[in-house]
Amino acid sequence: MAKTAISQQKSALSETAFAWLLIAPAMLFILVIVAWPLLETIRLSFTDANLGGESYVGTKNYEDLLSSRKFSQTVSRTFYWMFFSVMLKLILGLIGACLLNANVKGKGLFRVLVMPPWVIPVAIGCIGWLWLYNGHFGILAGIGQRLGILDGPFEFLAYKNSAFWSAIVTDVWVGTPMVTLFFLAAMQGVPVDLYEAAYIDGASRWYRFRRITIPQIFPVIVSMMLLSAIWTFNSFEVIWILTEGGPRSATTTLIVDTYKTAIANFKFGKGAARAVVIVVLLSLFSLFYLLVLGWLNKRMGSK
Amino acid sequence: MASLYLQSISKSFGDTQVLSDIELAIDDKEFVVFVGPSGCGKSTLLRIIAGLEIASAGSVVIDGNDVSKLHPVERGISMVFQSYALYPHLTVYENIAFPLRVQKLSNKEIESKVKQAAEVLQLTTRLQHKPGQLSGGQRQRVAIGRSIVRNPKIFLFDEPLSNLDAALRGDMRVELAQLHKDLAATMVYVTHDQIEAMTMADRIAVLNNGQVEQFGTPMELYHHPASKFVAGFIGQPNMNFIPASVVGVASNLLSVSLAGNVQLSLPVNCETLAVGDAIELGIRPEDIILNPPSDGFELNVSFVERLGGASITYGTVADNVRFCGAFDGNAAIQAGSTTLVGADVKDFHVFDEQGRALRRMLAPELAVIV
Repeated sequence: MAKTAISQQKSALSETAFAWLLIAPAMLFILVIVAWPLLETIRLSFTDANLGGESYVGTKNYEDLLSSRKFSQTVSRTFYWMFFSVMLKLILGLIGACLLNANVKGKGLFRVLVMPPWVIPVAIGCIGWLWLYNGHFGILAGIGQRLGILDGPFEFLAYKNSAFWSAIVTDVWVGTPMVTLFFLAAMQGVPVDLYEAAYIDGASRWYRFRRITIPQIFPVIVSMMLLSAIWTFNSFEVIWILTEGGPRSATTTLIVDTYKTAIANFKFGKGAARAVVIVVLLSLFSLFYLLVLGWLNKRMGSK
Repeated sequence: MASLYLQSISKSFGDTQVLSDIELAIDDKEFVVFVGPSGCGKSTLLRIIAGLEIASAGSVVIDGNDVSKLHPVERGISMVFQSYALYPHLTVYENIAFPLRVQKLSNKEIESKVKQAAEVLQLTTRLQHKPGQLSGGQRQRVAIGRSIVRNPKIFLFDEPLSNLDAALRGDMRVELAQLHKDLAATMVYVTHDQIEAMTMADRIAVLNNGQVEQFGTPMELYHHPASKFVAGFIGQPNMNFIPASVVGVASNLLSVSLAGNVQLSLPVNCETLAVGDAIELGIRPEDIILNPPSDGFELNVSFVERLGGASITYGTVADNVRFCGAFDGNAAIQAGSTTLVGADVKDFHVFDEQGRALRRMLAPELAVIV
């Protein structure tokens, strides 16, 4: 009693007002850098804004997008891009985490060696890959020729298919280390007792991995799936540095298309419409993820 | 069911010697408890029996076969962990079924075995729950269920009750003892709690510093501890130790003198001692008599715990030697007072300078106790 009386005397503000005061700076920050640009983008998407000015055009931008074959190709390409890149990152990340989790000499060193693709600036890494993919001077084409797989210089980024897969490889290279480290951290959080109990019961390595490791780290797998899906969906630098979306739009994903339209061609209104499509798609994706996560927690969780 | 023989087992991790030359023979259907303070090597020894650790030297023999190089499953052991090691993402049913699924038994077989185990452990209504929804005691039972369904030759328990609250621990002690009787299985149980050891064990192995101090029945350890360490470890509250010196040695009668000019003649086998040797006397709190008929020590009482049935009295005797006595619940003692206490000469334990116990001649004989 005495304690509450004292605190009431001292504080002029009510508890609610004080709480609002505490979160006000963060709120203001988010309003200015997230909410306002988002609303402005939505407004712009209903105009034909360009360098010369803007006027309201209703839903014309969206109608154009819906009827454009090129745009629907871009959307499906983006999903391909996201699907393959994320899958490879998860699979390689899981394998890498298992290897790093092994109790071998120098495991600290191995763990450090995983980091560079993620630590060095993406632009620098991509320029390195640009050289690797180079047909005349690149090491990949060189090795291919030495081994007799290629019968001459091969420009990996000059053909539609090879450019698409080359971009995926580079994106996977950039994105895998972090996935690996998250998986590794999750694996290290699995109590050793569980493995020992299963070992005593005669469970093989693979059985233990399948029935203990995977279920135990599953929440992390799902989280990394969503996060890297969003990052991959919006991954811009890798594609822009390697191919600028080419050749013949083979590597143009939604984000590259949006940039080309809005920034490179100054069609702000059309670009804004594309940006809104990205927001909607990612929101749907996140919603789907939350539903799946809820279902999984019910099924695999501890409660 | 099976016998277990540990043949001069040693274990070291790097330069640290954890176990040295452990030699223990455990009979079929016996309930043996390894007890000792933290770091005495008891859990390591259990893990060596299980096959989770490999002994640096020596061998594990089950039913006459050296199993040191065999996988746990081939050894025919099962183990209950301190943390229970239940799979949080699986139901109780699947947790118990886990070892059977590993063996690739048919669903029908699995169901009948799990149901049977659940019945024994009163888990039938909980089979579809996740471990997170169970109480501590129920989780414990699931862990036991998982080891029962394997039908192992030897059950191993690694401090299984230490995560339970005191009341539940008491219940589970009784349940485990009952289970041992029902299954008629060989069980090896590790604990640091001497009460668990005393109440459940057929025989207790007291470990200290990686060595077996004594291996015997609970009452043997209580009445005839082999060393000062065992004497201090077994029994609650702990035994009192009072320094003394030898003033006379006769056949099975030792005369000692204590601080405070007290002289005692104790019925122990004292042929290894000589006049003038420094020794220590041990006396259990429950053997101490308030206001003895003969002479005794002055006990400066500093604290009295009234447990209802007993009054545990703490204080000092002679030259500030800490002393504890367990008296009648209504005993007329008060903190801050001084009172005269004593004990029957047959109840004294005597330890030489190396901490080895001298044979007590008038203590209950083993044949009578067992």
